[in-house]
Amino acid sequence: MSALALDLGPHGGWLLVALVALPLLAAVALLCVPRLSDEDAAQAGTAVAAGVLVLAVVACLGAAPFDRPAPGLAFDVEWIPATGTRFSLGVDGVSAPLLLLTALLTLLCCWLLVRVRPAAGRVRALVACVLAVEGGALATFTAQDLIVFFVAFEVVLVPMWFVIAVWGDDTRPGRSIEPTAPIPGGEAARRDAANRFVLYTALGSAVMLLGLVLVGLRAGTTDLAALTYDAGTSLPASVQTVAAALVVLGLAVKAPAFPFHTWLPPAHTTAPTVGSVLLAGVLLKMGTYGLVRIAVPVLPDGMDVIAPWLGVAGVAGILWGGLVCLRERDLKRLVAYSSVAHMGFVLLGIASMTPQGLQGALFANVAHGLVTGLLFLVAGAVKDRHHTADLLVLGPGLRDRLPRLGWLLAFGAVAGLGLPGLAGFWGEVLAIAGAWDGEEALGVLARPLAVLAAVGTVLAGAYLLRVLYLLWHGAAPPKPESVVEVALQRDLSGHETALMTPLVVLVAALGVLPWLLLDITGPAVRVLLGIGDLP
Amino acid sequence: MTAALSAFAALDAVPGVDWLALAPVVAPVVALVVVLVLDAVLPAGATLRRAADGVSLLGLLAAAGAVGVLAADGSVRSTLCVPGGGTVTTSCSYVVSPLTLTLQAVVLVGALGCLLLALDGPGAADRGAHHTLFLAAVAGAVTLAGARDLPTLVVALETASLPAVGLVALRRDAQGAQAGFTLLVTALTSLGLLVLGVGMLYLATGHLHLDRIATTLLTPGLPASVAAVAGLGAVLAAAGIAFKLSAVPFHLWTPDTYAGAPLPVAAFLAVVSKTAGLAALVVLLAVGLEPLAGTWGPVLAGVALLTVTVGNLVALRQRVAVRLLAWSTVAQAGWVLLPLGAARDLASTRAAVSASLAYLAAYAVASLVVLAVVVLVARHTPAGEEHGLDHYRGLARREPVAAAALGLALASLAGLPPGVMGLVAKVLAVRPLVDGGVWLLAAAAAVNVALGLVYYLRWGALLVAAPAGPVPTWRVRPAEGLVLGGAVALTVALSVYPQILAGLVPGALR
Repeated sequence: MSALALDLGPHGGWLLVALVALPLLAAVALLCVPRLSDEDAAQAGTAVAAGVLVLAVVACLGAAPFDRPAPGLAFDVEWIPATGTRFSLGVDGVSAPLLLLTALLTLLCCWLLVRVRPAAGRVRALVACVLAVEGGALATFTAQDLIVFFVAFEVVLVPMWFVIAVWGDDTRPGRSIEPTAPIPGGEAARRDAANRFVLYTALGSAVMLLGLVLVGLRAGTTDLAALTYDAGTSLPASVQTVAAALVVLGLAVKAPAFPFHTWLPPAHTTAPTVGSVLLAGVLLKMGTYGLVRIAVPVLPDGMDVIAPWLGVAGVAGILWGGLVCLRERDLKRLVAYSSVAHMGFVLLGIASMTPQGLQGALFANVAHGLVTGLLFLVAGAVKDRHHTADLLVLGPGLRDRLPRLGWLLAFGAVAGLGLPGLAGFWGEVLAIAGAWDGEEALGVLARPLAVLAAVGTVLAGAYLLRVLYLLWHGAAPPKPESVVEVALQRDLSGHETALMTPLVVLVAALGVLPWLLLDITGPAVRVLLGIGDLP
Repeated sequence: MTAALSAFAALDAVPGVDWLALAPVVAPVVALVVVLVLDAVLPAGATLRRAADGVSLLGLLAAAGAVGVLAADGSVRSTLCVPGGGTVTTSCSYVVSPLTLTLQAVVLVGALGCLLLALDGPGAADRGAHHTLFLAAVAGAVTLAGARDLPTLVVALETASLPAVGLVALRRDAQGAQAGFTLLVTALTSLGLLVLGVGMLYLATGHLHLDRIATTLLTPGLPASVAAVAGLGAVLAAAGIAFKLSAVPFHLWTPDTYAGAPLPVAAFLAVVSKTAGLAALVVLLAVGLEPLAGTWGPVLAGVALLTVTVGNLVALRQRVAVRLLAWSTVAQAGWVLLPLGAARDLASTRAAVSASLAYLAAYAVASLVVLAVVVLVARHTPAGEEHGLDHYRGLARREPVAAAALGLALASLAGLPPGVMGLVAKVLAVRPLVDGGVWLLAAAAAVNVALGLVYYLRWGALLVAAPAGPVPTWRVRPAEGLVLGGAVALTVALSVYPQILAGLVPGALR
């Protein structure tokens, strides 16, 4: 992989500006064209997203090889001299995989909207929101300055709020033991989920801002490269502890870490399919990326104090998410809670502060984005057809009735439970291994946390196998046709199958050839941890 | 002829009056006099209206031009000075510094916007009265920014406040009268506090000029009793100024007065009047009483904490646009005061003032956009000026440009992209708190970001909701279009290049 490299010349940094600006400008442009039909808008969005993916690939090739200590491709101009803030973007081994993941998932989302439309609202504005989220995420993953990172971090909030509040699903799942028809919750249900999302994350990022400002004031710079190089030597341990607590607390809401995860299930369940995919595949990554990018390298002494807490929160998320999934009947909610569990592994890997832990976290980040993206696409397809995602209502024999859908769901579930040979496996194994060796950061908790996380993988196996059992062999629902009118019994169309194929291929490829990703992130992880011996 | 000549000679006889430095103050006053003369000479009608409008706008533009010239010149100018002697330095009543010019620029940009909104607005029949009161209040606000002695400060503050009472009452109905009366009572009570505070400062230090007061307070071995009296005076004077900013607990006039006043006047209270309030506060406390920052800083911290929290909490419950705005301006005033709550010594006071002004400037620009749209909506709904938020339902379908502008401004006030201007302003406002380790205030700021989001987002979401009924097509007057376009352009410019906000007041406060 590292053999593939492209020399973009001295002005290559502008590519990053284009990468961030293209989706944002396209979003504005889409909002300015009122008479665009839904299909045209989705196609225009797909074209833009494809262009962004091409740019992202070129940018990553331009930044390769990733064995250098600094970003391979960078853009840097003065922005707010009074506070020493520079508009600084860069791509290195940590950001490159996430850039590609974001660009790919956005492309799939826009492509999905060409044929599959949400029940309410105009597609034109939805595509604009999706592109705006992409622009914000790409800016977050390339930001090389604390304040720019914060601004980019906030960009996604308003568009994602609209995605949930306007195009979301207004039904509440039945909570009784018996299968019931979904309860219409109306606009209030969507608004509730959207508000919860935006309030949690806005409060989280405001807390994070306090930490970032503290770092900027005490270190005298907000430049991430300089701060990483400095590795906290110019910051006293007390300042580092306070700053790390604030930054980790703020980012833990976004990640989400237990017990700040309660915004996630309603948001993921209510959001339309594209919203769920982006939330899980892109937005959650911004939280863990921030931890890897800022907390670990800039505040190492502070992280030594905070890491055990973060590790405990991660493992609590793994176990809590797994236990909830054992009882959850709504497929979308189940995938949402499984996200909490998966992100718990990422948090544990980060908290270990070891190379393999961090490698595992970054790997699990990408793997979770691909697998959960796939699962939400499948769950969305199920919900579009049956107007419910209640596993008991969907009932047995789904695979027989809708073979493509059933197989893809099975594939996603198996990947999600961390079967060796698929992408989900490596990240979790590395995270657990990192935690096992992470006595330096986690102290006496290292081994117990690793063991509990391993128990969590068993839980993941249990709940995902339960899903497969319910859908393949489960008992017949008591009153299947009378309760829910299963109007559409279509299997996945060619369009939907084609859409999910890249995810399936990538999940399998990363499962078999994990070093495709590990080679990219490896050198960057050593830089972040301040381990000098670069290959 | 000879009389005129001798008048000019008398002007020359005043030692060292720098007329260019005073031009931002003089221009609105000259315009005011001309409007009065025109009102007396010309018959009522379209000619008088046009002439009065033109003269008033010219006066403000001339003042703004003078501010621009002074800013380009860059030097610190002092005028109306009293020569010193012995240990006492030469002190001036009016100083043109970056602080002065920044405050004057915000006042004049806000005033231009509010005046343009007021043309043909409610109360248009009272053109002469409106413009006279308006220009007087603006002159007072502009003077406040440059005032550097206690009497000038008090007189300028009252010149900025009392005409506003008249403006509020211009609607000439029971509600307008009630609104004006509320404001008048608040203003007079506050005047009492201010005069008492200023009197104590004079009593403690024996000086009227702010620089001399500062020097006296810095004297080594200052008796504790003197410091105590001066500290009490500072707090009382600040309390007397706080009503201009609608700071809690002097905020209670705000919602009724905003609702009872013509909307352009509410805009004036929200933008120009608040700027005048901050000008008075900063000039008195940060320039004159900086040695007492350890006393007034914590007091302002408490006031800011209450103001931002109470404003946001009550705003959550509001369903009438102008009342929501009124409470949100209370919360925003709290944001303006937050950095000042971190002032403890020279360095932290400087940083706090810089942050506070940056926040104020961003707030003023975003408020102008919001108020321009509110004025337009009010004109096109039967509910009129006290319309509910429901009248914004579906605005994006009928008036996409206005809805986009309002959305951008609300995002700025909430501090979220695309309103990067507001986001950077919040970052700047939080910096002094973190730097000074005022963690309680910092935590309050974080919580209030989320609280404010709720109602700004609710309002913003209505814009794209399906319209409840038929929405009339708008007829936007050129003046309103100018305000909206200009303020949106400023918002975009400050979002792209926030250094303008961050670098407003570099260096020492003078």
